[in-house]
Formats: sequence, structure tokens, C-alpha cells
Amino acid sequence: MSDHMDVADDAAFEPKVWDLGPETEYRFELDPGMCLVIVVLRGNAEIFGAELVEGKQHVFAGECKAAVYTWKGCSIEVTGRPSTEYTSDETLPMTAYANLHIAFEQMRVKALAHLRGSPIPDGPSRVTSESPRVLVLGPENSGKTSACKVLVNYAARSRMGWVPVLVNTDPREGGWAVPGAITAAPVAAPITTPSASLPLGAAASSAPTINPSNALLPLVYCYGHTDVQRNHLLLDRVIRNLGASVGDRFEANPEARSSGVVVDTPSTFAAGPANTASVRSKLIRACVDAFKINVILVIGHEKLNIEMQRTYGSQLTVVKIPKSGGVVELDPSYRDRILNMQLHTYFYGESFTPPPGLKLRSNAVYGGEALSDLVLSPASTTVGFEELAVWQIGEKSLAPSSALPVGATRTVSEMQPILIDPSKPGSGLLNAVLALLALPADGDERERYDEEVLDLGVVGFLVVTAIDIPRRKMTILSPSPMVFAGRTAIRGSVEWQEQ
Amino acid sequence: MSVYNQPPAQQHHYGYRQPMPPAHGHHGYGGGYRAPPPPAQHVYQSDPAAFRHVYSTRLAELTMNSRPIIQGLSMLAQEQTRYSSIVAQCIEAHIRRIPPTMKLPAFYLLDAISKNVYVPYAAEFTPFVVPLFLETYDLVDNNTRSKMEEMLLTWRTGSPVGKELFGIGPQVAIERGIWGDGGNAASGSSSRVTPNQVMSELDFAIGQQERTLQSRPHDVAMQNNLAILHQLHALVAAGVSQPELKQILNQLRTLMRNSASTSAPPPIAASPPPPPPPQHQAPYAQPQNHYWKQDLYPQQQIPHPAPMPAVKIEPASALLPAAGSPDILSMLTNLVKSGVVSSNGTPIGAGSSSVQEIPDEKPDSDRLESRAYRDSILRHSVALTTSDVTRPRNHLIIECLYDTQSTQCKQCGQRFADSPSGQKKLEKHLDMHFVQNRQASQQTGRGHHRGWFISLDDWINDTVDVKGKGVDRGPARGRAAEAADQVKRNEELRAMFVVVPPGDEAKSIRCPICKETLKSEFLEDDEEWVWKNAVKKDDTVYHATCHSEAAASATTLVTRLIADDSSSRSRSVTPETNGRIASPRSSPLKNIKSESSSAATLVPGSPSSLAGMKRKAEYDEDGAIRAEEAPLKKVAV
Ligand SMILES: [Zn+2]
Ligand SMILES: [Zn+2]
Repeated sequence: MSDHMDVADDAAFEPKVWDLGPETEYRFELDPGMCLVIVVLRGNAEIFGAELVEGKQHVFAGECKAAVYTWKGCSIEVTGRPSTEYTSDETLPMTAYANLHIAFEQMRVKALAHLRGSPIPDGPSRVTSESPRVLVLGPENSGKTSACKVLVNYAARSRMGWVPVLVNTDPREGGWAVPGAITAAPVAAPITTPSASLPLGAAASSAPTINPSNALLPLVYCYGHTDVQRNHLLLDRVIRNLGASVGDRFEANPEARSSGVVVDTPSTFAAGPANTASVRSKLIRACVDAFKINVILVIGHEKLNIEMQRTYGSQLTVVKIPKSGGVVELDPSYRDRILNMQLHTYFYGESFTPPPGLKLRSNAVYGGEALSDLVLSPASTTVGFEELAVWQIGEKSLAPSSALPVGATRTVSEMQPILIDPSKPGSGLLNAVLALLALPADGDERERYDEEVLDLGVVGFLVVTAIDIPRRKMTILSPSPMVFAGRTAIRGSVEWQEQ
Repeated sequence: MSVYNQPPAQQHHYGYRQPMPPAHGHHGYGGGYRAPPPPAQHVYQSDPAAFRHVYSTRLAELTMNSRPIIQGLSMLAQEQTRYSSIVAQCIEAHIRRIPPTMKLPAFYLLDAISKNVYVPYAAEFTPFVVPLFLETYDLVDNNTRSKMEEMLLTWRTGSPVGKELFGIGPQVAIERGIWGDGGNAASGSSSRVTPNQVMSELDFAIGQQERTLQSRPHDVAMQNNLAILHQLHALVAAGVSQPELKQILNQLRTLMRNSASTSAPPPIAASPPPPPPPQHQAPYAQPQNHYWKQDLYPQQQIPHPAPMPAVKIEPASALLPAAGSPDILSMLTNLVKSGVVSSNGTPIGAGSSSVQEIPDEKPDSDRLESRAYRDSILRHSVALTTSDVTRPRNHLIIECLYDTQSTQCKQCGQRFADSPSGQKKLEKHLDMHFVQNRQASQQTGRGHHRGWFISLDDWINDTVDVKGKGVDRGPARGRAAEAADQVKRNEELRAMFVVVPPGDEAKSIRCPICKETLKSEFLEDDEEWVWKNAVKKDDTVYHATCHSEAAASATTLVTRLIADDSSSRSRSVTPETNGRIASPRSSPLKNIKSESSSAATLVPGSPSSLAGMKRKAEYDEDGAIRAEEAPLKKVAV
């Protein structure tokens, strides 16, 4: 490259100071491999409701697309070269989130008072004494996940110290695990999302954490596919299992219930081809039932709003809220890249290269964490074919109809666990992402049943990195060391790609 | 008597009159080499070349942190002070030649010799110690660097009279080299201070304090001081501004200087360690300030009196005030005054009553507060309708999130209410940071990995710390408490050991799980060699931590079979397993297992957990898991 270009390149990495007025935001998008560093020079600034710490270098990477919002105004210093950056005062959704937070806060304090049996002197009688259990629906790129994060983060920031449960039912997003997972996690401190590979913050690793929200303890179930339509019966069942577990948690600790639940959903719940309408409404119904939803938020979609009002208006509150103008239209390959990045991050943690010419200080943080412990070391183990039983759930292509029970309907086959034989060439196990299942309870054997594999929680995800058919062995990548003998795993359709 | 002159008894024993070495002032490092002393009656007496050969040959064995080797080389140096320049040349050449991973033990040798045989060795090392230290520091990894920093800090007071071991000039030069100008203890306040440097000094102070605490385990004030230092450490680790760093550093140094010059606690009797088995590789302990108090050398083995005269015995605690000293508290008070630690944000958990006044609250003031908040929040009118939620009333959210919570944690940005209960929550919050930072410091050098997901049972019953809702949540415990438990469990695991079978001392064995070498150590009290952090299962020795981790993640069945008791200890290191399934969530298709289809879906002879097979798993040499089928415990109905 010419000197001229170099000069231009260098100039692009000079820190830029942005002065943001009250209720405005600085939006940025990062290309793959790019890194951005933001320092709050003065004032208060937050990203998806999580406050930044003044003076610290906050690092963003991994195709992060986000907005630094300020209620009262702030100055920020930005170093790096985002593919897009601009300020905006079209922040109506933030006003809506703020009002929703106050309304939900009213529900929470009333729920807590009700639970404690303390009298509620006055206050709007229309506020129910139920904690907010919110389902967020919206089409692609409408900002559902952003809305969920802001609402959950505001609750966690309340002086009441709520610990809301954030639920992710979007299998493409993967929550705190990998794509294909359906998850829920209690959120005690604001979630920070420095990278698109951590859309909801990070699940716990053995690395020490400063920020409790980087050691989230999710409950994980396996759906195994990113496409909602692929096996909607299974998704329905997994959602209901997760809902029952969230209910059990509230049962075990009634005060935790008052913090409420926020449920993020796939955009395919909100819109799609006409022939998927019945599946969509079935899955929405599954969510409403499973999480005992009392508020549905519909983001910027009038048709769906009307549909929800009509279906649920009599039993719960349906509110339409504005779509964020800052929501990014994503290019088609983006989802694939993010999927690979998420898988990689799950096993290997994070890495990035700081903007050229910028020296990161030792107090720089990535999603609230010091930069020293971002890289993780997974384990690789060779196991015999007999040790780890790998199942798949009702894949027609691999279960010839001759194998179906006589008279079995297609419904049965979709939900039927089928054991995979790794010694068969074309078993499809190589590079498959497996969900390692929890053990069934050590209890009454009579409670055991064959479809247990559909209902067991996930302990972690694995990748089959090599298969040696002659020696009947396969090599398994796992996040931590593990004894696999006697364990069961499920194979979905998510595949590992070496980076 | 000068504390660092050679004792006459030693001269007598050698049977010759060694000239009194020139009294090296603490600034006399520039003096260069001394004239070699007259020859002694010894094997090397007439042959410096033979000595050089012997010393460099033995030095070549110092490829790892081995206490016996370091001791041996120190003793040889001590016996042959007239060849001190040869010793110095050998050590310098050795350090320059060996790969970075081997450099630290060689520096420990330099450290031990300088402190134990101050004259003449400190002066011998002085001419090259600055470039050698800095060049080495550039080459080694971070872990080694922090050990070198720790050693460097002991050099500040490493001379027999508590001054710089190699003189103030070299000390400042090295500190400036690794920490920048701020490292200069004597420099003005205009220079920059790096967090690393402050952390190193805090680490050092903490180390001193911890060692003292070992001899006075029930000293509450000392424990409090230690906790405050830890919290300052956490604060610095999380990041504070440059002026704040300087203030912390200045206060800490004032404190250290004052206490180092004033305190003279009672001596501690030195008990000589038993002779170590010759071929064993025990690590050399972290450098102490002074060695006089704990002579490295087994005295009964040396045919002549101990080399150093009876110097004032100074326990390591000299650096920090003894119990009850107000210095740490006043230091903190100053920090509070200067705003480094907000009076709200003062690290608590230790001496809080004297540091800040927290009004004694009535037991349910939390409830009163939350009631007041409830009433205020319920006064607002926000309807859950599409039109009302877009009506701007942003002052409400600003009031809720910012204005009534003006105290912000500088580590993570969380805010706390401006109220007594808010302050209490902040204390708990800082405790949590403290525990996590301590955990972090214990985990340096270990690779990290993503944990297994929590089991359903634990997820349902273990409520994450509700940041102090002001109610007793019964058995559900806070995250900080859990982290503390985990720290404790890990400590317990690390303290476990396996006695090395006689004759196996020289054998190097690897943990089958992580494949790293097990470290052996000589237990002074029991007079035996052990592998630390080790458990033995079925004649195989594992790291206790690795085994516990693997056992926790193993099936309960397998756990029972291979891990016995250790599994109970490892309960929630990575809490997974035991996924409870209360009842089928949605109606399972009950009859399918009896239908013919199960034959089609189960590969014959291929066991699965569903078939309830009992199996025996063992680690094979590669650490892979080998499983043998045992008779069927239960077959599907
Ligand atoms: Zn904090
Ligand atoms: Zn190990």
C-alpha cells in the first residue's frame, strides 16, 4: 500500500470524542476482526441498559453492533474504525423501555408486598400484584433482544436488587450456550455484551470474573436446530420443560418470583410464510403457558399486535412498542458467521486485536472483565464408541420408515429418540455439535422412560472432532475435562467449522 | 558489632585469618570487586579454575526451582567467599545462557546468596544486577515476572540493616526499568504510577502480612489489615485513576517505611529443617526479606558455626504494623478523605466500625426502606398501553437508576442506593469483588475453561444472591459466600498430598488428567517427601484438583466407582450431574419402549444410560477413559 493510504489508515485510529446530548445515542457497527475502544470522559452512559464505568477503556469486538445511550448527556472517546458510526436522537424506544420499567417496577413491588402480606396503602389499583412475566415478540431486526436486555438490566439495577430471569427461546441465538440451545438464567447484575458472540452475556467459566453477569448460570435445554420449523414439536416440548423449571425455581424461592421473567423469542414467532402460521401461534402459546406470561410486548408490528390482542387480550396485557431506528439490517451471511463465532467462543473464549496505535491500559475491560482471562482452554478426549451414547431426535432421513413401529404416526417419529451408530460411515457425527445431557435422577427406576432424552437438561456442548471407525474411537472436544463413560448426548443439526 | 561482618569464629575455624571485608555502605555498591582473600586450606584453595569448574558444573544442575540445589550452591558460595567474584561470574553467565523458563531459580540463588552472605556477595552482584534483571524481565512470562517483582520488592529492605540489598541506585534503576518513573521510591509525585506496580507492592505487603498472620493466626486486627489490603488490591485491579493510584501507593509506602523502621517484634526461633533427600527437587520458597531468621542451612551439617553473627532477628512482619496499629486504618481514612475510596465505597469487611460509621440499624430498616420505595414508585402513573408507554417522563427513570443511587462501584459500575441498606449492599458487593479477586490471584497460571452448566436441582434451589433484599433467604446463599466456599474447597484440595514412596523421590510423574508434572515438596514437620495437590486412586496419583473436577463432572455412577470419597468433596466446583427429573414434563409417549421400534432405535450391545448399564471406568495412561461393561443392572422393561 502507498504511504498515502497508510497515513489515512493511521488517521482513522485517532481517538474521536463524541459529545452526546441528553437522550441521544452513539451507534456503531463493527466489521469482522475490528475492535473498538470506548471511554466515558464525563457523564453517564449505558449500553443496552448496562452502565459504563467512567474512565475505563471498554473494548468491543466480534462484529458488535450497539449503541451508547445517555439519559443526561455525556462525552465519550472512541478509538477504532467502526464500519458505521453516527449519533441519533431518535431514541423513542428508550422512552418506552423506561416507562415499561416503571410499570414493571410497580408490579414487582406490589408482588413483593403481597407475598410479604404487607398492606399496600395506595397506588394505582390497576397494577396487578403479579410480578411481570413478559414475552417479547417482533419481526427480524426489530430489536427484541435489545429490548429484553434493557428491561432485565434496569430491573437488576433497581435499588430493590431484583434478579429477573431472562429466557431465550430463539434457538438461532443460543443464549449463553451455543446455537440450538434454549436457555434461562437469573440476572443479578447488568448484562454486558461486548461481542455478537455473547448476545446475552457470558456463562460462567473457571476464569475469575469481576462482573457477576459474566458468570451467568443458565439452565440449558437442547433443541438442536437453529430453524424453528425443523422440529416444532420438539421445540414446543423443550419450551414447556424450561418453563416448568422456571416455575419450580419460583416455587422454591417465592421472593425470587417477584423479580419476574423476560422471554426473548425468535423472529419467526412473529412473522413468516402463511403456511407456518399455525406453528407460530402454537409456539407462542407454548411460551405463554410455560412462563405464565402476563404481558406481551409486540415490537413495531401492527398485524401481530392485533393478532395478539385478539387471542390473548382478555387474559393478559398486550402492548405494542416502537421499533428501534438503530436496529441494524443484517446481511445474509452474518448469521452463519455469528453461529460459528458463538460455537468457537463457547469452547475457546474471546480474542481480539486492539486498534493499531492504541495501548490498552491494564484497567481496560471487555464486557466488564479484565483482558487477561478471556481465552479458554477446552479439553480433547478420545472415547470408545461404546462409552458415549449419541441420540438424535426424530430425524426422518436417518430413520427409514421401515424402522418405525407399525402404525406409528409421523408425530411419533419426530419425537422419537434414535441411537446413532458411529461405526456406520455417514453417521454424520464428524464435526457434529452434541448436547451432553444431565444424568437422570438417581432415584426410582420406575420413573425412567425412554423419551427421557427429550426432557433432560444439558450439561454442556461437545464437538466430535475425529472418528476412527477401525479402532472404534472418536475424539471429543469439550469445554472442560469430563468422564464420558455412561453418558448420553443428543446430536442436532448444528455443525462445527474450524476457524 | 557490625551485623554484616564475618564472625571471628568462622575465621578461626578456617584456620586462617581472613581480612575483614570492607564495610560496604548501602551506597557503596559502585566499589567493584574486592581483592581476593588469601588462600584457605581447602580443596579449591590453590585453584580458582578448579573452583570455577566445580561451581559452574553444579550450577548447570539448577534447571528448576529446587531448594536442595539452591541450598547447596549457597553453602558452597558461603564457604568460598574468597572466590566470590568467580561465583558472581558463574551466576551471571548462567542466567544469561539458560532459557527464560530456567532463569527464575537462578535469580533465587542470587537472591539467597546476597541476603545470607551479604558480604561480599551483594557487592559482587551489584555491577550487573540491574541489566541482568531487566533483560531477564523482558524475556520471561507474566507469571515469572510477578515472581521477579515480588523478589525485587524484598530487595528494598534486603540488606542486614533493612536497606536496599544492592543499594538505592540499582534498586531505583530496576524499579524504573520495569514500572517506569513511578517505580522510583524517591521520585517526586509528578511521575506516572502503573497499576501493576501498585499491585506488586500490595501483593508484597499482603505476603508479608500473611506470613506474620501464620504465627499469630488469631490476631483479628491483623486479619482486618489483611482484608483491607486485599480490598485495596481488588480496587486497583479493577482500575482506579492515576491520582488515586499515586495516593494509594504513597500511603502504602509511608506505611511500610514507618513500620519497617519502628517495629521490632519479638524474635522467632529458627528451627533448622532436616536435611533433604539428596536427589530430590523441592521448590525454593519465595524470597523472604531476610534469611537470618530462618537459616537456610541445616546447622548441624556444617562443621563450623553459622556464617552470620547473631543479628537482630526480624520477622517478616516488620514491614507492616503489628496488631492494633492504627496505620492501615489511618491510611484508609486518608484514602477516604482524598476520595480514592468514597466513604460509601470504603472497602469493608474489616475494621469497618472504625473506618466508617454505619448507623446501627433496626433489624427491618431494609423493609422500611423498601416500603418507602414501593410507595414512591406506586405514586407514578404509567399505564401499560401503547400510547402511554411512549409518553416521555424520563425524569422517573433518571431518578430511579441514577439520582437516588449516586454511589457507584468503580470496579463494575453497579450503583447503590443512598441509604443505610444501600451502603450495606455495597459492603456485600465489595466483599464479593474481594473474594473473586482473591480467587483470581490464586488461579493465575492455570488455564481457564468454560464450566459445565449447573444441574437442574441446583438451578432451581440455588437462588443467586439477591443483592440484599433485606430478608433472610434461608438456605439459599449468596454468590460471594459460594465463591468463598469454592476458594476454601480448592485450598483444601491443594493441601492434600500423597507421600512419595521411598526410592521414588527422583521419579517425575504426571497427572493423567492434565498431563502436567506433579510437584513434590519436603514436609518439614513430617520429614517426608510428598506430592502436593495429589490424591491416589487405584495406584494412580492425580492432582487433587483435577481429580475432583473430573469426578464432579463424571456420572454419579462412575463417580461412585472411581472416585469414592473425593466426589463428595467436589460437590459444586462445576455443579452439573444429577440432573433431577421431577416428572415427565409433558406426557411422555409411555408405551413406546415396549414396541418393536425400540429394537430399531437401540443398536444391540450398544449401551446407553437409558439401559441403565453399570459400567466401570478407568483412566488409562493417556488420560482417556476406558469403560468396561459390567453385568446389566437393569434392562429396559
Ligand atoms: Zn462492583
Ligand atoms: Zn492434573
